[in-house]
Amino acid sequence: MMRKRNGVGANGYPVRKERLHKRTRIGEVVIQSLLFFAGFFSIFTTLGIVYELGKESLLFFRTPAVRLWDFLTGTAWQPHINQFGILPLVTSTFITSAIAMSIAIPLGLAAAIYLSEYASSKVRKTLKPILEILAGIPTIVYGYFALMFVTPLLRSIFGQDVVEIYNMASGGLVMGILILPLVASMSEDALNAVPRALREAAYGLGATRLEVALKIVVPAALSGIAAAIIVGISRAVGETMIVAVAVGAGPNFTFNPFRGAETMTGHIVRISGGDLSYDSIDYNSIFAIGLMLFFITLTLNIISQRIVRRFREVYE
Amino acid sequence: MRKNLFASMFILLIAALVLSACGAQTPTAAPTRAATEAATEAATEAAPVDPLAMYRPENVSGDIITAGSSTVFPLTERMKQRFEEEGFTGNITIDSIGTGAGFERFCVNGETDISNASRPIKDSEIESCRAIGREPLEFRVGTDALAVVVSNENTFVTDVTMEELAFIFSTAERWSDVRPEWPNEPIRRFIAGTDSGTFDYFVEVVFDKDEGPILAASNLQLSEDDNVLVQGVEGSPYAIGFFGFAYYHENARQLRTVAVNGVEPNEETAENGTYPLARPLFIYSTAQIMQDKPQVAAFIYFYLTNVNDEIMDVGYFPASQQALTEALNTWYLAVGLQP
Repeated sequence: MMRKRNGVGANGYPVRKERLHKRTRIGEVVIQSLLFFAGFFSIFTTLGIVYELGKESLLFFRTPAVRLWDFLTGTAWQPHINQFGILPLVTSTFITSAIAMSIAIPLGLAAAIYLSEYASSKVRKTLKPILEILAGIPTIVYGYFALMFVTPLLRSIFGQDVVEIYNMASGGLVMGILILPLVASMSEDALNAVPRALREAAYGLGATRLEVALKIVVPAALSGIAAAIIVGISRAVGETMIVAVAVGAGPNFTFNPFRGAETMTGHIVRISGGDLSYDSIDYNSIFAIGLMLFFITLTLNIISQRIVRRFREVYE
Repeated sequence: MRKNLFASMFILLIAALVLSACGAQTPTAAPTRAATEAATEAATEAAPVDPLAMYRPENVSGDIITAGSSTVFPLTERMKQRFEEEGFTGNITIDSIGTGAGFERFCVNGETDISNASRPIKDSEIESCRAIGREPLEFRVGTDALAVVVSNENTFVTDVTMEELAFIFSTAERWSDVRPEWPNEPIRRFIAGTDSGTFDYFVEVVFDKDEGPILAASNLQLSEDDNVLVQGVEGSPYAIGFFGFAYYHENARQLRTVAVNGVEPNEETAENGTYPLARPLFIYSTAQIMQDKPQVAAFIYFYLTNVNDEIMDVGYFPASQQALTEALNTWYLAVGLQP
C-alpha cells in the first residue's frame, strides 16, 4: 500500500506530487493519525505486558532458591516449600490441550468441510450461527459442564477408581468442544476462499464430491487450516476457567489423563485467587509461569505464520 | 434467525433491567420502616437515659468495612443480616480473603474497621498495627472445629491418632501403609490452600508448623474454595480432606467425620478442648475506630450479644461464657462505659 501511494494513484494513474502537497485534507490527516494510534496502542499494550512480565519474573529468577535449570526440568512445583519445577504444570497444560485438539481438529475440520462443500446455502445459514452461539457460551459454564456432566460420564464408563473426580480428560474434552467452533469457522473461511474454478476443473475430470473436497479443496486451503489449528492450540493452552474448575487444583506430575493435575493457567488463577502478599515468592512465581505461557503462545504464533507463508497457494 | 436472536437478547436485557430495578428498591424501602420504628420507640422509651441506646442498630449509620478469615465470614455475614433486620441502614462489607490478608488490610493499609480472624493476632501483626497507630482489641466470638472428613462410601477409616493423621497427609502413599488392614489404594488428599487460615492451623497443630511434609505429599489437591474440597472428597472412597466444621455441616449427607485421638468433633469436645483440632474465632477492632465510628461499636456489641443465637446454625460452636464476658468487658472499656 505504501509503495502505491508515492507514484501511483488509486486509479492506477501517476499522480503529480505538487498538487498532492498543496491540498492537505484535514479529515484525511485526522483519520490517518487515529488509525496510527489504534495500531500503536495495541503494540504499546503488548510491550507493556512484556515489560511487566519480565520485570516480575526477574524478581523470581533472582531469588537464590530458584535455579533456571531446576525451573525448567524439576518435576515438583510447590513454591511454598521451595520446589520450583515447572514441568508438572507444563505437562498437564499440554495433555489437556492435546485432548482438546484431538476433539477439535477432526470434528472442526469435518464440520468445515460439510458446511463449505456439502451443505446447501439454506442449511449453512442456519448452522453457522448455531456454531457461533457455541463459541459464545461463557467458559465457566463449560467448566461446570465438564465437572457435573462429563466427569460423571467418564467415571461411569471407566470406573470410579480409574477416573478421579478432578481429571485432565474431562477438562480436555470440554475444551475441545469449546475450540471446535473456532477451528470450524476459520477452516470454513479458508475452504470458501478456494477459487471455484479449481472445483469445476476437478468435476470436469470426473472427480466425485468427496474427492474434490479432500484432494483439491483441503490441500489448497491447507495454510488457512493450519493457521486455524494453531490458533486453536493457542486458545487451548491459554484456556483458564474450564481447567480451573474441572481439572484439579494440585500440581501433580502425571501423564495419566484420568488423574487430577493443574495447568499453568489453572495454577495462576488459583494462586492469585487466594490472599497472597505482594513480595512473596508465590506471587513472583506466577509471573514466571505467565512468561512461560507467553513464550509458548508466541512460538505457536510464529510457527503458524511460517506455515501460512510456506504453504500459501496463490491464485491468479 | 438473526432477528429472533436479537429479539430474544433484547427481551433478556429488559428482564435483567427490570429485575435489577426491583432488587434496588428493597434497601430503599427498609430505612423508612426502620426510621418510623425508631421514632415510635424513642417516643415510648424516652424517660430513662440508657447509655447503650446510641449503640442500637437503628440509631447508628454509616459504613462498616470488615475483611479477613473465610472461616469467620459466614458468621459475620449472618450477624450482618441480623443487624440489618434490626434496623441498621448503612453498608457492611465483608471480604473473605483469609486471616493473614485481613490483618494486612487492618494493620498495614489501615482500611478495615473490623478484622475477622480464625487465629489470635501474631506479634508481628500487632507491631505493624501499632506502626500505623492502631491498638488491636480482640473479641472472641466462637470456636471452630476442623473436621477431618472422608466420603460416606469409605467404610474403613473411623478414627485416627494425631500421628496417623500426620502420616496420612504427608508421606503415606497408600491406605495400607497407615494400617495394614486398610485397603491397598492410593490416598487422595484434598486440603485447604496455602493462603487459608485453615491450612495454617492444620499445619500448626498436626505438623508443628512445618509445612514441608504436607506440601510434598503426592496426590495432593489444594484449594481456597472449600466446596472444591467437599466435591473432591465426595468423589472417591479413598479420598480424605479437612475443612471447617461449617462446611461439613452443610454437606453432612455425603461426608463423614473421622474421630481424632478417639474424640469425635462436637460441641462438647470443641468447647472443653478435648478435640485436638478445635480453634478459636475472633473479630478485631480498635478503641479509636469504635469511638470514631459508633456504628462499628454498635455492630460489635450486637455481634457479641447475639452470636450464640446463630453460631450453631452457621456451623460453629459457641465460645465459653467466660470468653464472651471478657469480650464484652473489652467492649465496655473501649467505648468508655461501665460494664
